[in-house]
Order: sequence, then structure tokens, then C-alpha cells
Amino acid sequence: MTPAVHLDTITKRFPGVVANDAVDLVVEEGTVHALLGENGAGKTTLMNVLYGLYQPTEGKIHINGIERSFDSPSDAIDIGIGMIHQHFMLVDPMTIAENVVLGNEPKKYGGLLVDHEQAIKEVRKLSERYGFDVDPTAPIEDVSVGVQQRVEILKALYRGADILILDEPTAVLTPQEVDELFEVLTELTAQGKTIIFITHKLGEAMEAADEITILRNGKNVGTMDANTVTREELAKRMVGREVLMEPQLSANEPGEVVLSVDDIFAEDDRGVEAVSDVSFSIREGEIFGIAGVDGNGQSELVEAITGLRSTKSGSMTYRGKPLEQLSRRERIGAGIAYVPEDRQERGMVMPFDLVENGILGSQRATEFAKNGRINWDRATEHAEDIIAEYDVRPPNAASTAGSLSGGNQQKFIVGREFDREPKLVVATHPTRGVDIGAMEFIHEQLQALRMAGAAVLLISSNLSEVQSLSDRLAVMHDGSFSGVVDPASVTEEEIGLLMAGESIDGGVDATLADTESTTDDEADNTGGKL
Amino acid sequence: MEVMSMSEDEGALESDTGDSSLRSRLTSPSYIKRVLGVLAGILALLGVLGLLFPTSVAGDLSRIVFRWSVLVQALRISTPIALAAIGGIFAEKSGVINIGLEGLLIISAFAAVYLTAVLGPDTTIAFIPAIWIGFAGGVLASVVLAWVFAVVCIEFKADQIIAGLAVWLIALGLAPFASTLYFGSRDSGSLGVTIGNWPIVIMIASVAIAWVVLYRTSFGRYIRAAGENPRALDTAGVSVSRVRYAGVLLSGVFAGMGGASLSLTIGLFGGTGETMVEGRGFIAIVAYLFGNYNPLGAFGASLLFGGLEAIQIRLQQLGYAIPDTLVQTIPYIVVILVLAFVGRTRIPKAAGEHYETEE
Repeated sequence: MTPAVHLDTITKRFPGVVANDAVDLVVEEGTVHALLGENGAGKTTLMNVLYGLYQPTEGKIHINGIERSFDSPSDAIDIGIGMIHQHFMLVDPMTIAENVVLGNEPKKYGGLLVDHEQAIKEVRKLSERYGFDVDPTAPIEDVSVGVQQRVEILKALYRGADILILDEPTAVLTPQEVDELFEVLTELTAQGKTIIFITHKLGEAMEAADEITILRNGKNVGTMDANTVTREELAKRMVGREVLMEPQLSANEPGEVVLSVDDIFAEDDRGVEAVSDVSFSIREGEIFGIAGVDGNGQSELVEAITGLRSTKSGSMTYRGKPLEQLSRRERIGAGIAYVPEDRQERGMVMPFDLVENGILGSQRATEFAKNGRINWDRATEHAEDIIAEYDVRPPNAASTAGSLSGGNQQKFIVGREFDREPKLVVATHPTRGVDIGAMEFIHEQLQALRMAGAAVLLISSNLSEVQSLSDRLAVMHDGSFSGVVDPASVTEEEIGLLMAGESIDGGVDATLADTESTTDDEADNTGGKL
Repeated sequence: MEVMSMSEDEGALESDTGDSSLRSRLTSPSYIKRVLGVLAGILALLGVLGLLFPTSVAGDLSRIVFRWSVLVQALRISTPIALAAIGGIFAEKSGVINIGLEGLLIISAFAAVYLTAVLGPDTTIAFIPAIWIGFAGGVLASVVLAWVFAVVCIEFKADQIIAGLAVWLIALGLAPFASTLYFGSRDSGSLGVTIGNWPIVIMIASVAIAWVVLYRTSFGRYIRAAGENPRALDTAGVSVSRVRYAGVLLSGVFAGMGGASLSLTIGLFGGTGETMVEGRGFIAIVAYLFGNYNPLGAFGASLLFGGLEAIQIRLQQLGYAIPDTLVQTIPYIVVILVLAFVGRTRIPKAAGEHYETEE
């Protein structure tokens, strides 16, 4: 059978860089093909060549056995290639149907007016055919990110795409939405569509793809069958060396209580109760993990602790003193480091360079500022230290934060926060968007902080990460802890149940709460056990 | 009569709002209903009070408000404002904030009178009266100035606010100067002819056409997409800069009709002080913000402002000493109240931002 896509020794050079080096890629019709690689391995460049955004320096593109060359994406679209970008290109106040047909509206009255009913009908038909659960009349701004992604896929299908390229499609999705996306992909291939998706996540490539091609430094380092390959094998090819997949916690005796949170309540931006009666404490040299589906109050809890949100009731104690009375600035000064969830909103100032971003939060510290003047030499040194230690690319302190890729922004923020010699680290999704080499390094750094006696609050939607790194693990559901468990003995299924708000039998050890005040939820759980 | 026209107005708005969720969001029926409700309530109260106490202020007011000639006058006053507001909607919805509407009104008001005077106010050319050729000339002058503004903003990526102010200042200096050259004074003096009430018809037709174009044609969707998420439009294969040029040029067309209407309705150009336009271009901006970027809403707001002005004029004639300048501040106070307390005006997300294609 002729492959749907055959990239024949594609080389793409940019001034000074070889982004793709004689890459071969063969994708069979009706299959899902994962393009796996670390940040900067050349995955997106290769796909931009296929989509006509870039012209290859060397090499040929064959689509369904016919050699093609694309001057622009519209050429690629004409031949039936659609690309779904990481950042959606949707018009928020317009409806789903209006977005799907934008640029190709069905017309009535001799082309004078848009036939809106026809558009809705066509979009509905298309979405039913592929089992998409979307309402064509809903405005984009009212639907979830997962649905928005399906709208992007519908846009490509509406334009007659048979080959769909998805660039990091899971980066913005919740775990449930990822599952739904994979179901959509299965349905699409069942109906003969061919899918290529770019990812740096091993698990997703193995789960969703039929075949996996791995890129490293712009080269194809192997195409493997997703059903038979092992994680270790993939990781090794991707990084080029053995990778410690599951971090191991070394034994460590926790010290004094650093942070204790008692019965706190907090509201979200809309004034709806988001954190309900949460209590826990963290000791020196301990990592306390919180697992849960995003949006169950983790963000609000973290903001309450870091001083970005006020609590409605309850108290928080930091090293023996009431935390609520400290301003955000005082909390930074008191040794609370914070890796925020939204790095572009809260972690960095995008138009600033890395020197300026490197002292963000410590701009008043005497190390960098004296008599109202900033010591830029020292700040530059500091930024360069972070860049070197955390392998931030490109290694240039003068580049703006906005010019870095998401993974490199994350590495820089983590580096800045971890270098404060913090007493308490609040790390929200510290490895989101980074490749596995950097992930391993960040995990090591978290452990080093723990061994150095810092207390760490780790929030992550990556279950294996929180499970393997935490000394104790809480699962958050609907604003409160549905359980606090021992990560070493709990199973993934049990965590899954807790994440869905159910209690688990016999798994909860009340002593794990490690605080004088046992939370109500644990009391519930204990009750369920009896 | 005023009450009648208001309720018709509401009906028109509702057919707009009721038809899809997008429209209802853009025009938020509850908001429009509330505003119209309050207005209807005030008028009803006035009517009742007027009937009960015919000799009081309320009696005078109600006699003014419920009078055909006052409505016509209100429409006449609101015509340049509504037309400029429609123009502003097209520009800003496409992503280019055109605060130079005032300048477009000035230049077209002058050009219309100038061309009519040059041709001879009483002549006809190919059966077309000179005043209508003058009207077209006014529109053309405004389009040319809008085109310069578009080139500066879209091609050369100048700051839209600064460029818009420049448009105003250029027209503010140029029109009286040209008037002095040709007419010997900043004011043109009377042409001896007027265009009558035709501009009202043109304005109402423009409101309807603008609404259909914005909400029922693909071009209207491109305009809205260009101002909300230009990249989405670009990836859909539609040129963003072309759509934005069209939006700005349309603002020139509509504002040009507004300016020409203003001067030709009276039959002269007044160039002293802030010229005869006297901030109507800025009130137009207020009107379309108040009307939430909907041509019907902008029309309603313009009519409200025009109506207040008409009532004020009539009150003056009846001997009430209401300072004219105080009434003129009402639109601005209204917009501040609306923005502060109602807060439903939704500014296009990419308005004011330059767009560059990636390829």
C-alpha cells in the first residue's frame, strides 16, 4: 500500500542551524503516527515543512505516492493536509459553526448572504459523523479547551483534510480531555483519516499511536511499533542515554513543621467556594504532594498559601507565625518559593530579558539592589548561572522570556525559584511542558531541596510524578481532600477513585494527615472503612 | 411619536438579539431592554405628568417630546453622529480604532460645501443637482483621508490613536484654511440651497445596511474576525490587512456621508473654533460604545443624544435658561456611567494591535 505521507530525506537548514537532518518519515494511511522528541528536536519544523509553512532545503515530499511541493499552507490544504496548532486560531465571540466555516461560508441569495442554517447543518453532520460532541451554535468562549480543540479538527475536516497534523495536542488538555481526544483520533483513523501528532510525552505516544518515530537533534533515530516498544527504549532513544524513569526517594527524617494549614476556605474569582475546609502540614525535608484533576481547588489553595488570594476562614502557620499577616513580598522574603501554574501570566514578564526575569521577586534583595539601584552585573551573573545550571536554551541572558519555548521558560522559572534557598517550595506542575531530560533534572533538584531540609508542596496533574516524589500524597476533589495516602502503597486505581471524589476501602491511614487536627474528609473516609 | 419610534426600535433590536447566541452576547438583550425600559418609563412618566399638570415644566416637556417636528429635528441632529458611529464600528470591529472620525466629519463637511459652491449651487450636471455632487465629493474627501490613515496604520504600523489624532488635527487645520482661501473666511457663508431631510433617509438606510453586512454576510464575519483574532482569519485564507483596509475605508464612507449631511443640511460650512462639527465625531465614538458596536445600538444612542439636544433647543425657545454646554456634556457622562456601571460594552480583542502574517 502506498503510504499517505512519505518524507524523503528532508533537510531543513536555518542560518546557523540544521533543524532537520535528512529525515525520512513514512506514515501509512489510516494510522496514528506519533512524532516523539525532546524540545528543540525538530518535530515542529518537520511538520511545518509538510504543511507548507517552510520549504525544505533538500528532500522530497510524497503524498499518496505523488511528489508534491508546497509554496504555502493553502497548497497543502488543497491536497488535504490540515494542521492543528498548539495555540488555537479561533474567534472567541463567534459560534462553533461560524468558526468552522470561516473563510468558506456557504452562501444564499446568489452569494450575497451567509447561509447560516446550512453552516450549522453541515457542521453538525460533520461532528456527528466523527462522534464529536459539539453544539455548533455555542460560542467558542463558552466551551472547554477540549471542545475548542475539536473545533480546530472540524475546521480541518471541513476543508477536506485527510491527513491531520496535531502539534502537541495534549499540552492544554486535562487527563479526561486527553482520553476523549484519543477516542476522537481512533474514530478518525477508523474512517480512513491519517494522523500525525507531535509530542514529547512517551506515555501518550505509546497509548495513542500505531507507530512512533523518534527525532533527536533533527535526526530520525528510529521508527518503532507502539505496541511492542518499551518506555525505557523510547526514553533512551529520545534523550540519547539511559534515563531514570521513576525518581526514587531516599530515606529522610522530617524535621520541624514548616507550614501548617488549618481548616481553610477560599473562593475562586467568580466568588464560588473553591477550597473547602482543607488542613495539612508539611515538615522540613518532606515533599507533600497533591494530586487531582485540574480545577478542583488546587490553584486557589496554592494562591492562598503564596499570598495571591485571601482566605475566607481558617488559619495558616508558617514556621510558628501566622502566615496570613505576611504580604506577598514578605512571604518571598521569608523563604517561600513559588513555581506558578501559568508561567506566562505569573512566572515571567514576557517582553523582559532573562536578566530581568531572573531577579523577579528578589529585585529588592540586597544581593541585587542597594540604595534603590539594581546591580545589573550581579543580576546578569545570576541569570547566567540559572541558564547554565538548568540548561536553558538558547543560552543567552539577553534574550526575552517571550522568545523562549515553553519548556525552556519553565526550566528558567524553576531554576530561579529553587536557587532562592527556600524554606518552603510551592511547586505547581513544575515539569509541565519540559522534556524528559529536563524533567529528570527538576526531579533531582526537588529531591536535593528536600534533603537540604526544605518543605515542598508539590501539585501536579502528572500522577506518576506526584506519586513517586511525595512522602505523603493528598488527593483533591471539589475543593477538599478526598484522601491523604501513602504514595508507596497506594495504587493508581485507588488514586483515580479519590480523584473522582469516591472513598477507597481500607487504604487511608489517618496518621498520614500528620497534623493535630484531622480533616473532616479523613473522618469520612475512616467512617466509610468501619 | 417618540414613544412609537422607541418601541419600533426595540422590536428591531430584538429580532437582532433573539436569533442566535452570538448575537445575544454581542448585544446582550437584557442590557438593551433595560436601557430602553428606563427610557420608555421616563417618557411615560413625562406623558402622565404633562397631562396632569399641563402648565408645569413637565407639561412643557411633554408637549415638546411628543411632537413630530421635534422628532424630525432629533433625527436631523443625530444623523451625522449615527453615520460617523457606523463608520467607527466598521473600523474598530476590523481591529483599527479610528478616533479620527471627527477629522473625517470636518473634511467632508467642508469638501461637500466647497464642491457645491464651485459647481454653482443651483446648477445640475447630467440631471444631478450640484448639491448631490457636492455630497459625493464630501464622501470622497473623507475616504481619501481615511485611506491615508489606513496606510499609516496598517502598512506602516503607526500607533492608531496617534494617527487618529493626526487625522483630526489635519482636518481641523486644513478645512478652515481652505475655506479662508476660497471663501475669504473660515465660514463659507450660505450656499442658498440645502439638501433637506434626505440625509435622515440615508442614515436610516445605512443603519440597516450596516447591520446586514456585519451580521449576515461573510465580509461582516471577516471584519469581526479581523478585530477579534486576526490569526484565525489569516489561517482561514483571508487577508487580514485587506479586510482592515476595507473597514477603515468604510469608516471614511460613512463618516463622509455624515459630514456632508451636516453641512449641506444647513447649506454652509462653519470653520470657526472647533468648526461646525463641534465634537460630533467623538460623540459618535461614545454612541457606538454605548451601542455595543451594534449599528442599531449606535443609532439608538445617537438618537438619544440628538433627542436631548432637540429638547434643549425647544426649551430654550420656550424661555427656559438651560445652558447649552451642559446638555452637550450628557453624552460623555452617559458613556462614563455606562462603562462604569453597566460594563457590557465588549471591545474587540485585537483592536489597536498590528497584525503581521507569519509567512
